[in-house]
Amino acid sequence: MGSRKIPRKFMPYLWVLPSIIVLAGLIVYPLFFSLTNSFRLWNLATSPNPLGFVGLGNYRQVFQTTPFTDALRNTLLLAFIGTFIEFWFGVGIALLLNSHVKGNALVRALLIMPTTIAPIVAGFLFRYMYYERGGLITWLLTTVHFPVPIQGLLGSATTALASVALADIWQWTPFFAIVLYAGLLSIPEDVIEAAIVDGASGVRMFIWITLPSISRTAIIVIMIRFMQLFNMFDLVLVLTRGGPGTASRTLSFNLYQAGLVDYNIGVAAAMTWLIVIIVTILINAYARVAFRNWEW
Amino acid sequence: MRRPVYQSLLIYVGLVAVTLFFIGPIYWFWALSLRSPTSAFAQPPEFFFQPTLAAFKYTFVDPGVNATQLKSSLIVGLGGTLLNLPFSMTAAYALSRFRMRAKAGLMMWYISLLMAPPIVFLIPYFILMSRLKLRGTYASMIILSLTITIPLSIWLLKSFFDDVPVDIEEAAQVDGASFLQAMRHITLPLSLPGIIVTSMFAFVFTWNNTVFPLVLSNQRTSTLPIGTLNYFATTGVTWNYIAATAVVTMIPPMIVFLVLGRYIVRGLTFGAVKG
Repeated sequence: MGSRKIPRKFMPYLWVLPSIIVLAGLIVYPLFFSLTNSFRLWNLATSPNPLGFVGLGNYRQVFQTTPFTDALRNTLLLAFIGTFIEFWFGVGIALLLNSHVKGNALVRALLIMPTTIAPIVAGFLFRYMYYERGGLITWLLTTVHFPVPIQGLLGSATTALASVALADIWQWTPFFAIVLYAGLLSIPEDVIEAAIVDGASGVRMFIWITLPSISRTAIIVIMIRFMQLFNMFDLVLVLTRGGPGTASRTLSFNLYQAGLVDYNIGVAAAMTWLIVIIVTILINAYARVAFRNWEW
Repeated sequence: MRRPVYQSLLIYVGLVAVTLFFIGPIYWFWALSLRSPTSAFAQPPEFFFQPTLAAFKYTFVDPGVNATQLKSSLIVGLGGTLLNLPFSMTAAYALSRFRMRAKAGLMMWYISLLMAPPIVFLIPYFILMSRLKLRGTYASMIILSLTITIPLSIWLLKSFFDDVPVDIEEAAQVDGASFLQAMRHITLPLSLPGIIVTSMFAFVFTWNNTVFPLVLSNQRTSTLPIGTLNYFATTGVTWNYIAATAVVTMIPPMIVFLVLGRYIVRGLTFGAVKG
């Protein structure tokens, strides 16, 4: 090795430094940009450059001129209910797979396919099936006499958000199923046999053996999925554009609308910081739990 | 343990129902790409129809409206993957091999970037790239995709490096190999499959990304997902063309996942669950 020696203690940091510089550079700029412009009056439609200092005016505007609280409510609904349904549906499928009947490998290979496709494409799949006239889902629902709204499933305020959620549930339930199935495989045989010998019932075995042994895996995947749902954008863009009204508007879509449709950079910048604060709190709170006792 | 027949039967019914639910919509869209426009919205839906390749011919061959987008998707996907490797490989190696006080903090920082809403980056970069006259370039999309590929690859690669026992490396060093030699001749070759798996996941994540090209690409550099959206923006939505473009967008990630098999769990959980 070369004659100049870097103290061993610092060498690892030299190796991670390039990645930190690139990533920090890429995220510091937008955060700084948003912070400074959140206090300025700036609409791209009227001026190519920021105009005057408006104090906290943009932050007030976020609540007064954009449906921020509606979007926050929709986002939280989607994230909590979506994660909940996907997780338990996934647990059910994982248990089915764990019966190891013939054809299991084929089912698993097919099952993961929805998760592989781009969310925007998943959106198109469902937009086509939701079509008011001739869409497969609309037709199926009508056949079983489900009261489909005349404006269509995506056009009605009562069903729009649920329809967006269904597309996401379709795409990501397999993710839970496949990952939790891998968790089930790691339960040692003798633990299961001992429980059977002790006469444990199916339900008791599920609560006392199955659930605890997949809990570590579950916490990680729930965290990942919750945040992905919280950031929901692509599906909304294709399916409803946040409508009708604000019925399916999410935080990400609200930000997109303010900044890149209405070109109100000042208000978008203020909203960016509000979202960054919410997301930081969520991630930190969860990561603390998920990675407790984690071996790095 | 033998299962009663009725129980096996129930399991099969369940598995078939599950498969139909998750594969049905994909089949239905692939079918759309092969339909004639009149069959696309027939009421009731037509389960049997005369297939035609007209939509694929229009979108990818003659006039091939979406053929350049296929090229753009490949450039951005491969670019975002390859450019990330020098940064993620060095970091992941150090995080796997050395004791570092800041290790937990760093790993949490990387994963929190993966979970941040990408839309937050978009508006500032829309303006910055416009001012730098970089909007519409592949470079702008590739650079921004690093915010996803670097943290993803660091997490995944670290899990693969962790799998190579330190003992082998140390044995080589005892035999007179330098630290760098040990890394080059032992750890890297042994973790080559891991590096390939990681690259494939990074590629899929970039390939499927819509948010960055949505505002950073122009007509010449737009990627396939933007191609599907463009059809949608014009009046008189041509669903057959959307479907044909979407099918081509779906195929590479599907192939990657079929090839990856047992690594899927690890990839989708960023290496946190080894599967």
